[in-house]
Amino acid sequence: MTGSEEATESDSSDATTLSVVVADDHPIWREAVARDLTDAGFNVVATADDGHSAVNRTLATRPDVLVLDLNLPGLRGDQVCAAIVKAQVPTKVLILSASAEQRDVLEAVKVGATGYLLKSAGRQELLDAVRATARGKAVFTAGLAGLVLGEFRRLAAEPLVKNGREVPELTGRETEVLKLVATGMSYKQIGAHLFISHRTVQNHVQNTLNKLQLHNRIELVRFAIARGLDTPA
Amino acid sequence: MVTALWRGLDVFRPLAWLYAVYSAYVRDQDMARPWLAWLVLGVLGAWTVSMLLYRTRNTWVVGIELVLACGAIMITRLVDTPEVIVGGAKTLPGFWPAAAVVAWAVLKGWRAGMLAAFFVGVADVVEVGVARESTINNIVILVLLGCCIGYCADLTRDGHAALSEALRVQAEVHERDRLARTVHDGVLQTLSYIHRRGVDLGGEARELGSMAADQERLLRTLVSNVPSTPRTGGPHVAAVVGGVVDLRQVLGRYAEGAVNVIPPAEPVLLDRRVADELAAAVGAALDNVRRHAGVEAQAWVLIEDKGTDVAVTIRDNGVGVPAGRLAQAAVNGRLGVANSIGGRMRDLGGTAIIDSRPGAGTCLELTVSKKGSVS
Repeated sequence: MTGSEEATESDSSDATTLSVVVADDHPIWREAVARDLTDAGFNVVATADDGHSAVNRTLATRPDVLVLDLNLPGLRGDQVCAAIVKAQVPTKVLILSASAEQRDVLEAVKVGATGYLLKSAGRQELLDAVRATARGKAVFTAGLAGLVLGEFRRLAAEPLVKNGREVPELTGRETEVLKLVATGMSYKQIGAHLFISHRTVQNHVQNTLNKLQLHNRIELVRFAIARGLDTPA
Repeated sequence: MVTALWRGLDVFRPLAWLYAVYSAYVRDQDMARPWLAWLVLGVLGAWTVSMLLYRTRNTWVVGIELVLACGAIMITRLVDTPEVIVGGAKTLPGFWPAAAVVAWAVLKGWRAGMLAAFFVGVADVVEVGVARESTINNIVILVLLGCCIGYCADLTRDGHAALSEALRVQAEVHERDRLARTVHDGVLQTLSYIHRRGVDLGGEARELGSMAADQERLLRTLVSNVPSTPRTGGPHVAAVVGGVVDLRQVLGRYAEGAVNVIPPAEPVLLDRRVADELAAAVGAALDNVRRHAGVEAQAWVLIEDKGTDVAVTIRDNGVGVPAGRLAQAAVNGRLGVANSIGGRMRDLGGTAIIDSRPGAGTCLELTVSKKGSVS
């Protein structure tokens, strides 16, 4: 996933078959991804070709992973993610995107997507990413790491206390790790470079994503309270 | 917008008519033929009311109004005795003819307004017989009125046309933008798919696949960095107006098969001069990667906006460089890294930090202030 020799740690010992929904509006892609996943032993329970059916079918089948193209007709990628997170189904979302509209990717990740993979990634990378996503592990490409790093830098540049709330910050180590991911290093390489285990690296990466998503949820709640949206109708 | 002028006329016409009626009432006794005066005022009153009910304004309507106005002025000659007229009495319709002048001006522009004022002026002169100073004054004011209001109406119409044109162009751009996104997305999807299938099939298909992958990366960088529909208006406007560029776009052109450019989501705005120097330094670093890191080497270019500073990190996973070899290269006269990168960064008042170990690739971090040095 980082384009280097060792992608995610592959986990061949899937105790149970993972169920997946594939949402993509391009038939060739939808079928290719579904076929690859089926061949590798995943259970593709549904496919969807627009945003609304992606949400509906995911809520109906409650798969382990939704493989989501960001550019679906009907609903934007981040709206699909938000709808799924809001419904509190256990499904994790893996963004599989071609256009890499950077802001769209960032929005989707902020509202709760667990990972992001470019469509140019190979078959094995996709399979590894779906497995990692199912386990709730953040799937970071160098591109996504750059976006998350950029978002924290942007937040840090804002006044430290905005409207009486604290802006989330990364620890020095988290920044360091994120930066190494963003320059194409695999978790194992980073571990070796920093003399820590690759699981610790994974945890640091995960933490950055959690902080960003938590910050986003707090922002939304504050926004809702400010607009009086929290009072029951 | 021209409607506002018409509405003004709707208010003016009844007021002018009421004043004419009042003037006639006051000197009813002095008139030679009062019944004719009341008949004429009755016709003008009917016209005034009908103008409030009938909303179409065309050449016919304003033409009839002008004829009525001129007619009423000249009939004054029959209503009043010659002594009263020569004595400088008001015309029967008073200000009312000004409505006809303004109507022509609003409908057809300043030339028509002037012409209408001219006709009313002629009627005035014919009515009086000998043009007196006050008559001339009134005519001059009427001509001015026709010209000014006509000019106003012309300006308003031109402005309106320009605005409509701008809105139409904007809508067109939006639509083209939307179409382009769809087309680009489709092309990117297809290129990615060719790459993927090519890798699966192997052999010659693999080469085709990697060509498709190169094009896909190139197009993706182009598409994702175009500030087509800015969600935050400010910076892009600044970027267009000032000599400020988005570093993401400048460095985006380096993206290809072995080079990944990793930008943040927001534009990184830099002085064009600083951005170009920085881009040249990055280009030199990437040339170095191509020449020394080995054929299989990949490179990553990370762009970070640190507020007042910008950092660009270039890392490769190539063979790396033993410690001290860079300094030695400089001594030996092979000034690639030391000169073209370090020198450029020094000129900008920035720094270049290089970190390389054999087998672990090379990492070069360039930091520069957004404004560059003061030099």
